[in-house]
Amino acid sequence: MTATIATHQDRYPPGDLAIWIFILAELAVFAIFFAAYAFARMGDVALFDHYQATLDKDAALLNSLALITGSYCVVRALAAMREDHRAASVRWLIAALGMGTLFLVVKSLEYAHHLAAGVRLSTNTFYMFYLSLTFFHFMHVIMGMVILAAVAWKAHRGGYSAREHTGMETGGVYWHMVDLVWLILFPLVYVMR
Amino acid sequence: MKYRSQAVARPYFIAAIGLFLAQIVFGVILGIQYVVGDFLFPEIPFNVARMVHTNTLIVWILMGFMGAAYYLIPEETERELYSPLLAHVMFWVFLAAAALTVAGYLIVPYARLAELTGNDILPTMGREFLEQPTITKVGIVIVALAFLFNIGMTVLKGRKTAVSLVMLIGLLGLALLFLFSFYNPTNLVLDKYYWWWVVHLWVEGVWELILGSMLAFVLIKTTGVDREVVEKWLYVIIAMALITGLVGTGHHYFWIGAPEYWQWWGSIFSALEPLPFFMMTVFAFNMVNQRRRNHPNRAAVLWALGTSVLAFIGAGVWGFLHTLAPVNFYTHGSQITAAHGHMAFFGAYVLINITMISYAMPLLNGREANSMRSQVLEMWSFWLMSVSMVFITLFLTGAGILQVFLQRFTDTPLPFMVVQEKIALFYWLRLISGLVFLGGLVVYITSFFVAARDARQGIAPVAKDAELAPVNP
Amino acid sequence: MAQVFTKSMARNIFYGGSVFFVLLFLALTLDTSLTLPERDQRHQLDPSTEVGQRIAEGKRLWEHNNCIGCHTLLGEGAYFAPELGNVYTRFGNNKEAIKAFIQSRPAYGIPGRRSMPRFNFSDAELDAIAEFLKYSSEINTAGWPPNKQG
Repeated sequence: MTATIATHQDRYPPGDLAIWIFILAELAVFAIFFAAYAFARMGDVALFDHYQATLDKDAALLNSLALITGSYCVVRALAAMREDHRAASVRWLIAALGMGTLFLVVKSLEYAHHLAAGVRLSTNTFYMFYLSLTFFHFMHVIMGMVILAAVAWKAHRGGYSAREHTGMETGGVYWHMVDLVWLILFPLVYVMR
Repeated sequence: MKYRSQAVARPYFIAAIGLFLAQIVFGVILGIQYVVGDFLFPEIPFNVARMVHTNTLIVWILMGFMGAAYYLIPEETERELYSPLLAHVMFWVFLAAAALTVAGYLIVPYARLAELTGNDILPTMGREFLEQPTITKVGIVIVALAFLFNIGMTVLKGRKTAVSLVMLIGLLGLALLFLFSFYNPTNLVLDKYYWWWVVHLWVEGVWELILGSMLAFVLIKTTGVDREVVEKWLYVIIAMALITGLVGTGHHYFWIGAPEYWQWWGSIFSALEPLPFFMMTVFAFNMVNQRRRNHPNRAAVLWALGTSVLAFIGAGVWGFLHTLAPVNFYTHGSQITAAHGHMAFFGAYVLINITMISYAMPLLNGREANSMRSQVLEMWSFWLMSVSMVFITLFLTGAGILQVFLQRFTDTPLPFMVVQEKIALFYWLRLISGLVFLGGLVVYITSFFVAARDARQGIAPVAKDAELAPVNP
Repeated sequence: MAQVFTKSMARNIFYGGSVFFVLLFLALTLDTSLTLPERDQRHQLDPSTEVGQRIAEGKRLWEHNNCIGCHTLLGEGAYFAPELGNVYTRFGNNKEAIKAFIQSRPAYGIPGRRSMPRFNFSDAELDAIAEFLKYSSEINTAGWPPNKQG
């Protein structure tokens, strides 16, 4: 386990190995959660279908676009940093943060709507999964934004260069995971019948 | 021993082993009571013996943690302890409190003890593992605060390493979470909900931090592997421990009145709780395989490897066995629980303490390692205790499976006591294993005396110098 | 293969992950606190009522006599003696049967067998214990235990 300074071209996977161990663990949690959802749904398809119809698919679609756009911004930020365009890189990261904020706002409005309708974790199994899965993911978006903000701040202060920007890659990899999980969660919980 | 103040660890370690012996003697008494119901009745009823068994366990593990902290913190921070005197005083306070409490359990009826210690002023007694009188609990808090102050000041003024910081965070969490033992509402569900914040968040939360840092310390010292590598592992392991263990608390909330979504949250996260223990096993074996030196204290390395394996089997595998809600519905509060409890506590917390004691005691006595003869005895005791504990676990698991099928997973459930008689054979076998365990512990204690005698006669730790040659040059 | 695995990243994951899951656990606890009134029979516990006082006294006696040292209550405790969370229903929803059982324990045990100690409770104390056990049996425990044998 020798830590060597390598350029981005010859290293795989990108970012810090520790984050990959972490991401694998995170994906395992989500995978078990998704499997549990599918298992529980088999037990009462009618209930799941009925309450799935109460969800706001448009809001979720908007949120999917926000996260994909956010991921694109992170890719551009990294590309900019590889060309040593520090200011551009920071701007792309701020744009990604903006997309994250959009996601949080839209999701919060959805939650407000459900809470006002008296929906709680204990209301029924479908809402239990809906709230658990999306809230768990919601917290991941916040976490990802905290990481991106830290990366942006470090980039702004000149902490990264075209040669050494492992930290930015690491943060980006985490953000992509948050995006990826949503892209499974969205069809699974909102759309699939 | 590099710093003089590390010597305060010595009485803590000795007291820990003394209490360990008491714990096992009472464990044997309990084992007999399981098959000869009126043994020592009514002088020492089962509940009293059980209190002594579990409370001495908790106290000696805490003693071990404190001793370990006093030993490793000066070495990690590269300075003397802030106040060795305070550490000495607190040792006697803690030991006196423990001795008085156990004496109270044995001498007067528990209800009388509750009265005498004014439990009605602030009722905290009579709950599993938290049976100590309220004043003892206050004493524990005072000792913990003084201890944390002492350790904290030392860390603050010295070199800050991952090992010492993780240990400090673990100890801080231990002290803070213990405060929930003072919360005891009439509402049984709330009582149980927050009771687990002490019990679960200790053993499957902050204690794992302490365990991790102690294991990391011993592995750094005995294998000579680069600290950077060890500390990276340490962080990843304890991160996984908290990530899975915090929400994993939910596996205790299935059937005590808490909302039913805990069955999902608890099952999902606690299903991942074996992960950090598995990583710990991989870590320990990796470090030993990559060792840069052959430490003369081979017994300590064996204890360390044993910790990682048995903690994984006991806490990880046996925990997973009955953690999923549909399974736990039938196994909750059965002998399966007892099987898991025994193996997990032994594998994780008993063995890590012995690992530390085994590594540090020779150094505290002024030699790098004990004589080979003494170490061979230690290795014998390792195998005797570990194998007998595996058998205790297997027999209790057998008893538990039968219990579940006769009493719960059946259309014609039998009453509890009828089932207990039907599975008595397993309890007899468990008792025999328990006696072997006691024998193993006696061998362990004997090894200290053999070590002292060999040291007086000037017998060197390792017979052949050749064995000290580096393995991976 | 060149690989980067830094200690500072591992440390950040530890701190970040811990804070994250502490917050998640607290959020779930908050929801639990809001949901519990529907499940934990707290309306029975009102200390201004006679039943509430009896339950509180019953729990005090339960604790002062360390009943958990042999029995389980909602599956938690020692596994030496029967589960008591559902003893009220097991005894036919009959508080008198519980009281009679406690009173009938021999002072010097039963030769060779497990036996509950003799506690010499007053009638009011027995009432309190029975009330507490009745209350325990009415907590919504998601259907546990599987059958009346506990």
